[in-house]
Amino acid sequence: MIWYQWMAIIALLVCLLSCIYHFYKILSLGNPPEYARRAGHIGKAVKYSFTGAMSPKVKESAYMHIPTYVAGIIYHLGTFLAIFVFFLVLFNIWLQSWVMWTAVVMLVAAGLCGVGILIKRMSKHELRTLSSPDDYISNILVTVFQLITAMAMIDIAFVPAYFILVSLLMLYFPVGKLKHAVYFFAARYHLGYFYGWRGVWPPKPIKK
Amino acid sequence: MEKLTDEKIKKGLDVLKRDVGSKLLTHVNSCVHCGLCAESCVYYRLKPDEHFVPAKKVDIVSSIYRRYNTLGGKLAPWLTNARKLDEATVEDMVDLLYGSCTMCGRCNKHCSVGVDIEFLIRTGRAMLAEMGYVPETLQKTVDTAINTGNNMGITKDEFVDTLKWLEEDLQFEVDDDNAIIPLDEKGKDIMYTLNPREPKFFPLSISAMAKVFYAAGESWTLSTRMYDVTNYAYFSGNLEEGRVIAQRMEDEMLQLDAKRCILAECGHGSRAFRWEAPNYLEKEMPFDVDTSVELLAEYIREGRIKVDPGKNTEPVTLHDPCNLTRGGGIYEEQRYILKKCVKSFVEMTPSGTDNLCCGGGGGQLSMSEYNERRMGIGKLKAEQITATEAVVVATPCHNCVDQLIQINGAYKLNVKIKTLAEIVADAIILENEEKTKEN
Repeated sequence: MIWYQWMAIIALLVCLLSCIYHFYKILSLGNPPEYARRAGHIGKAVKYSFTGAMSPKVKESAYMHIPTYVAGIIYHLGTFLAIFVFFLVLFNIWLQSWVMWTAVVMLVAAGLCGVGILIKRMSKHELRTLSSPDDYISNILVTVFQLITAMAMIDIAFVPAYFILVSLLMLYFPVGKLKHAVYFFAARYHLGYFYGWRGVWPPKPIKK
Repeated sequence: MEKLTDEKIKKGLDVLKRDVGSKLLTHVNSCVHCGLCAESCVYYRLKPDEHFVPAKKVDIVSSIYRRYNTLGGKLAPWLTNARKLDEATVEDMVDLLYGSCTMCGRCNKHCSVGVDIEFLIRTGRAMLAEMGYVPETLQKTVDTAINTGNNMGITKDEFVDTLKWLEEDLQFEVDDDNAIIPLDEKGKDIMYTLNPREPKFFPLSISAMAKVFYAAGESWTLSTRMYDVTNYAYFSGNLEEGRVIAQRMEDEMLQLDAKRCILAECGHGSRAFRWEAPNYLEKEMPFDVDTSVELLAEYIREGRIKVDPGKNTEPVTLHDPCNLTRGGGIYEEQRYILKKCVKSFVEMTPSGTDNLCCGGGGGQLSMSEYNERRMGIGKLKAEQITATEAVVVATPCHNCVDQLIQINGAYKLNVKIKTLAEIVADAIILENEEKTKEN
């Protein structure tokens, strides 16, 4: 293995350890204490929190912002795909040509969505005032990760740069908002738990 | 603003340490600053300004958390805008968390990630309360409740006098000298609570509920010592004061040996006693706690009272109180009641758990310094009401009633604002009425 591959593996370990640490911390603190008599079903509410409550039909953040919502979905799918490709590369697994080109197209699309989201953040006053350097760095790192993954799949000359970028991304993960990859799941769980306890979720049908 | 001392800073930061559990840790780390929550906030909807974006309110709490509780925040605060808890931050916190939020929780539902924004607002308010920065007007309301037993400072004599003439009124209305409003009676099935606005400004809602109890043949009582369902400490964020108020209600229930505590039509009061008080007191209540909305629906479903929708012929719309509906899961019952008690029921858009706050929540009604904003966001509710073309606006919350009355005047809606008990009482068919009809 070449030095930059070792570097990426070490960075990956740091990132994984960080994820495990955050997960452990969340889990070890347990459920929030709720002493009131429970009125609903926690399991069903948590399930709803991850499914029905995420539906674009019920979320203003989705249906009032369709272009951003769609770009966000593609961007996140692209990120998962790029991570998947990273493991393939690490384990030296080669894709069939048509699969590779499909992945390249998807990664480029995701990268372009990332650029779009970045432009929106930079151009919209209220988003600019809300943003910290971390928001820009996180967006740029992930977007470049997607694009350079696509480029490295096409041209081997990009491979060293690819590994360096992956290392940077992995090392940056525990520092800033990329941690939401872990906390997103905890947030949905807690929201489901809270509304489930009170019988707000899942929504009840209106009886006649 | 009072000077921020090191001791105050420590007290504020201690809240973040004291309350750190999985929930707080999760929500301070989850916001991605996408800003898509903006339109879910009534303040932002009225005035699209970055100041009112819910994420901004999240960020002021989580940025302080980052600054003092994370390595990154301590070493490179510029990277994540981790803020120091100084006077400028406190000033921003007061305006954002008290002055720009009704704690309606609508943003929770629409957040793209699932951040419990309202929970973070409450955490921020708890910090400010510990530091002594609760707006004076809001604190006065809490102090009055702590010092006099109710947030309006109504004396026992005044209260009893009001109930006595309401009792006479009830006897006249139902044509029965045995119809009473029982006071401090032990061993009853129900201890009914009130929002102090009722004896002070809206006594007819008490007689409406008394009429319902009479028609249902209920075993009930009111307490003259502790009847206040509200708990403004829930809004101020002062947990200790919240605990004192909750404890009084529990003590009174136990003293009167009542089986069931029925919470009057008050959104935050219902939430504060049913859902938050057990957490304040760290124990489950040793009796049943239900809202009067559930009780009214129960009476109709079980046939304990008979109602005639023909007695309420004007079109009625419903304003769902945020704390009762979004925060308490009560949205089916009020619709059931209205469908049974009125001839024409029209939903607002949006409604139910998606309903827009009237603007009176979060302690806004008592914080006169933010009156202009409060009445400003009332415009959205006025537009919702106008679109329904209803003549009557029903709402099971006295704080909402107060705000809706002010909106009604300010925006010249010319509608009637009623509680559910008033609507049910109007629709009730009393036994003697039935007999008269039969004859």
